[in-house]
Amino acid sequence: MNELLILVFGAMVVLGAIATIISRDLFDKLISLGIIVAGIMPFLADRGLLDVLAATALIAPLSTIFILMAIRRKKDGS
Amino acid sequence: MPAEPLHILIAAMVSWANFVTIDVFFKLPEKGGVSGASEIGRHIEEGGGALHGGYMMGNIVSSPDASAGTLLASCGVYAAGIPGGLFAALLVYIGNRICYDPGYAGTTGCITATFIVYGFTLIGFSAAEFIVGMVIAILTIQGISHVHSSRLLATLWRWRQG
Amino acid sequence: MNGYEIALALCGIIALYAAVRVVLEKDTMRKLPFLNVVSFAISGSIVLLIPHPLAIVAAAAYFVGSTLESNAIASTYAGGPKDE
Repeated sequence: MNELLILVFGAMVVLGAIATIISRDLFDKLISLGIIVAGIMPFLADRGLLDVLAATALIAPLSTIFILMAIRRKKDGS
Repeated sequence: MPAEPLHILIAAMVSWANFVTIDVFFKLPEKGGVSGASEIGRHIEEGGGALHGGYMMGNIVSSPDASAGTLLASCGVYAAGIPGGLFAALLVYIGNRICYDPGYAGTTGCITATFIVYGFTLIGFSAAEFIVGMVIAILTIQGISHVHSSRLLATLWRWRQG
Repeated sequence: MNGYEIALALCGIIALYAAVRVVLEKDTMRKLPFLNVVSFAISGSIVLLIPHPLAIVAAAAYFVGSTLESNAIASTYAGGPKDE
């Protein structure tokens, strides 16, 4: 991994974090969290941590789905 | 030195032709497979695009279809040759079943792409060029302009019907 | 630069471009195709960084997970599954 790639993927993580902070809608915040996870993945792959990568890739969408279930329940209950 | 950009361009065109042909053949633009895909199609139509092209883009977003099959087949051939590509087809089928999809388009695209990519490696191409070629191909459909790409896909769908 | 380095750099630049487009797009549903481009580019980069058979499993797991996430976000936005 050379300097250009470190810069590009690091910029993706920072961009996702800033977008999560400034976006108002809850769905927009979840999509921006997806960009953060995407930016972290190549750093895990570069170290050779493929098992950590696969576990992270499966845990991140599951946490999103749990948040979405909580949103739907609140919408139904109100 | 100018050989590699030319190879990447040819690989992008071959991948584009492969996945668009198989997706249109398996009637992905007909309707949204899940409610989320229909919603994406309606929003693209509101933004000025065509409805059937929007349905196909929604289907590509919400379940792994022939485009994902082409990408993972190139990855499989790059890492492990023909067995890697067929193993990737199995993984695409499992992913399709997880996303409530029958999985014909993804598995067929993956198997055809495995043999296409392997054939091109025999005449001097590298599988890495096909990986980045598929990324460029999906960029032209989903990432440049939703209005123009959905109109292009709707035109192809009209040819498929008539 | 050989073909491998050009491919990896192109994947990274396309991922960054699509991430910028996700942030700039106003409509929530029209953000999802750009997020799909990001996950394509990242899956490609994972396999290009480690050409190992286990990397195919990791890339497929990441890709299917990201697709499932987009699917769940779009379905919830559209009003939830029909069977309830």
